[in-house]
Amino acid sequence: MTLTATAPRSDVGTTGSGRKRPVRSYWRFYLALSPFYILFVVFGLYPVASTILLAFQKWDGLGARQMVGLQNFKFLIEDNTFWLSLWNTLVLFVMSTAPTLCLALLLAVMLHSAVRFSSVYRFAYFVPNITSLVAAAIFFGAIFSTNFGLINAGLRSLGLPTEDWLGQPWGIKIAISTMIVWQWTGYNTIIYLAGLQAIPTEQYEAAKVDGAGPVRTFFSITLPQLRPVVLFTVIMSTIGGLQTFTEPQVMVGTSGGAGQSGLTAVMYFYTQAFVANDYGYAAAVALSIFMLVLLVTAINWRLFRGRSES
Amino acid sequence: MIRRRGRILLHVGLAVTALISLFPFYWSLVMATNTTADIYRFPPKFTFGSQLDDNIHHVLTNIAFFQSMGNSAIVAVSGTVLVLFFDSLAAFTFAKFRFPGRNALFVILLATMLLPAQLATIPQFQTMVALGWVGSLKALIIPGAANAFGIFWMRQYFQRSIHDELVEAATLDGCGFMGTYWHVALPSARPALAFLGIFTFVASWNDYLWPLIVLTNPDHLTLQVALSQLNRSHGVDYSMVMTGALLAMIPLIIVFALFARQFIKGATEGAIRG
Amino acid sequence: MELSRRTLLAGGFAAMLGGSLVGCSSGMDAASTKKNASGNIALWCWPGGLGKTVLDDTIAHFPDQHIKYSEIGDDFKQKLLTTFNGGTNIPDITGLKGEDIAAWLPQADRFVDLNTVGAKDILGDYLEWKVKQATTLDGKLLGIPIDIGPTALFYREDVFTAGGLPGKPDEVAAQLKTWDDLLAAGLELKAKNPKALIVSDATDLYGIIVSQGTERYIDKDNKFIGDQDHIRRAWDLAVKAINTKVDAKTLGGTPDWNAGLDQGTVPALSGAAWVALDVKAACKTSVGKWRLAPTPSGPANFGGSFLGITKNAADPSAAFEVIKYMLSADNQAKAFADAQIFPAAPKAYDMPQLKAADPFFGGQVPIDVFGPAAKAIPIAYEAPLDSAVGAPYGTQLKTVQSGSKSSEQAWKDAVAQAKQIGKRQGVQ
Repeated sequence: MTLTATAPRSDVGTTGSGRKRPVRSYWRFYLALSPFYILFVVFGLYPVASTILLAFQKWDGLGARQMVGLQNFKFLIEDNTFWLSLWNTLVLFVMSTAPTLCLALLLAVMLHSAVRFSSVYRFAYFVPNITSLVAAAIFFGAIFSTNFGLINAGLRSLGLPTEDWLGQPWGIKIAISTMIVWQWTGYNTIIYLAGLQAIPTEQYEAAKVDGAGPVRTFFSITLPQLRPVVLFTVIMSTIGGLQTFTEPQVMVGTSGGAGQSGLTAVMYFYTQAFVANDYGYAAAVALSIFMLVLLVTAINWRLFRGRSES
Repeated sequence: MIRRRGRILLHVGLAVTALISLFPFYWSLVMATNTTADIYRFPPKFTFGSQLDDNIHHVLTNIAFFQSMGNSAIVAVSGTVLVLFFDSLAAFTFAKFRFPGRNALFVILLATMLLPAQLATIPQFQTMVALGWVGSLKALIIPGAANAFGIFWMRQYFQRSIHDELVEAATLDGCGFMGTYWHVALPSARPALAFLGIFTFVASWNDYLWPLIVLTNPDHLTLQVALSQLNRSHGVDYSMVMTGALLAMIPLIIVFALFARQFIKGATEGAIRG
Repeated sequence: MELSRRTLLAGGFAAMLGGSLVGCSSGMDAASTKKNASGNIALWCWPGGLGKTVLDDTIAHFPDQHIKYSEIGDDFKQKLLTTFNGGTNIPDITGLKGEDIAAWLPQADRFVDLNTVGAKDILGDYLEWKVKQATTLDGKLLGIPIDIGPTALFYREDVFTAGGLPGKPDEVAAQLKTWDDLLAAGLELKAKNPKALIVSDATDLYGIIVSQGTERYIDKDNKFIGDQDHIRRAWDLAVKAINTKVDAKTLGGTPDWNAGLDQGTVPALSGAAWVALDVKAACKTSVGKWRLAPTPSGPANFGGSFLGITKNAADPSAAFEVIKYMLSADNQAKAFADAQIFPAAPKAYDMPQLKAADPFFGGQVPIDVFGPAAKAIPIAYEAPLDSAVGAPYGTQLKTVQSGSKSSEQAWKDAVAQAKQIGKRQGVQ
């Protein structure tokens, strides 16, 4: 590989130049893109392909692998715990993503219009994202604990009945999604804020001249301009949300707590692989999760694309 | 008058959210300065205690703290530099140039984001075995040296913030492809780079599952894996665990403080120019 | 400038291409058992697994072996498994946790059969039921016991007497002979003190009752027996605790548990000897108010680990000498004094380190309760898949506990799920 040749001027094909050139004259671009694709093939595609193969095998992690055909999938269909974990994942996804994104958008708009202390707020909102999960888990465990938790102390002082949060299926879901919302709102706020700051100020001035109030400005200018950013966060949250693992794991353990209400699909994968050492079955679970992510993302994409075209 | 009241309300809302965001962090500080038993009583303690020195001492005697922190720093810094370079270069190429297969490659890139990485942990480990990288920090740095998220994020930014004329002008000035990237693209992308940098650094610093699996040499651990050794099987000293977690956060706060300035400055510049 | 950046880029690609080629061409020969370098012994255990004094002493005692000790945190079994898979850095001597030992038995060919390096001479020093846990059905021995986890009833003397129950350990032992006695006492206590619930957690109770038996969920012929009487009886007792509302529903290790122990709302719990460490860590105001009594309906064992030698060990005989020295009755007594690691060698129970009175338990001598318990634990058969197959019972019991399922429905679901998990793994 020699890179000594200097670039001929015509090599920079800017947008709009439609001349036909031999493919090899674009080598610089392909080279610039290659790191990602090479890494992906070695560390992404190959492992995924192996996972697919593994899903048709039985393997305890040490011994010989054994082809078992569709057996893993047959068991998967009858496995109520698996279906429960998928359901939990979807419910937790909705319960955490919707509040996170709405709250983040609200905060970003507020932050965008408040000039003073903006950097202080920004810092504060980003802190949850760098707070150690261990610390956060101990904290939220204490907040939601039955007899000594802050939430129940609050309810008690208001004369309301207390709740055994982490001992109840819905309590567990609420506690986990609270932690996720806490952790990811600031991150999304900063993404939205970057999007807001990229909207040309002239548009707002024009709206002001037209006499539009803040609410109308938000819906007629801010939101449409922000759509690509919103789509981006929705998709990223979908991918992340459907793979929720750490938060429930540190909060209720890998079993998922009462009624296995905190057991997500990735946790089920994890326990099958690393606790039960049933790697073939775990791979089948992994494939199913991938299908689910694909499906939900496709739905999201359609919803948002469809709307932006209309 | 209404405007003024609105402003106050705005700041109250922002401040309350900021406090909620910060509170667990504050509480972990409280915990790190008290003993475990002080924390689990009712009403719990919300003020700083005097146990910080003891707790720090316990952390430092129980694990090779600074050595693992050094390893984490190597992984996070080199990983972040590689990501910033490879991602921005690829993003710039996608954003500003046309070449055969561009759209197809970009669709593939987007599709890769859908592949759940942690699900392929087992074969990934097998790959590391085949490469002979098991137990080495390479196994943490190289696989993540370029990622789809960063390329996508930077591409959005380049498309918006760099005008085509600028690229053409640079070309006319005799800048090659790399020259244009270095002199035109990179300087204008500072805010986006700052965000991607922080995000990559934090993710790498806090990564746990993969280092736990792949770093089989007990003398060569990253900080998060070393910290997990504070979780003894019985009689967990939560104050010590919390202290360890907080000590591990210090570099992140420093990095954030450094980059955040750049991020804020860059973002406002971008807004004015736009 | 320009040039150096390009070179850098080119170098990076070359390295990566090289890397990817290696990735494609080299085989995946994970099952190789390369011998470790001789002259050194790498020893792995988890934090708190071995007493520090004994460890330091052992290292000093074998200067020629250059023992290198490493502490491996978090999921030890997983770490060892991936290390076996990785083929490098495999320790010579490794700890094997009691809860994992049944799952390691099918991997016996990864370990040295300790009978071949002289274990027979010392096996008599250890409790037979514990040694059996590390022995395969065809007689291979994977590990020498480090410690055991005999259970006792931990209770608050002050809360018991205030609630009209006996306070002295022998009186408690006399009144709480069976689990039914305990539940009846729980009702009495609750009538006087509605906040004090005698069962800390019904699912924990279930686990202990199952462990008191000689069989779990799968028998020696690999048949599913999780729907039989011994399991059902444990289930019914746990459900009775829930229905009579003497279940505090506080799982061990949670903030509520920690606080409840000290404040008297979790006035009793059945747990292994090592639970004392957790209780002591959680309690500040109730020091001296705790007591120990025999577990109702007989002792059980929870945890307790082993040291084994991997096939990769350069010199298995030398490694065995290290294990033999480290786990002698004398050293087990020292490890107990050091870190409450409960000896698996009964000779240690008569040594001064174990005879000491414990002020935390109001001057009671813990070994007077744990010692007889340790010797009375029955030999039990644990199948490699027992913990996987048994998991649904605990999770289903939790649904009864939270009131979202009836006992009958939950039992049916638990049995069905357990059968299904077993079937997947070839259990009949």
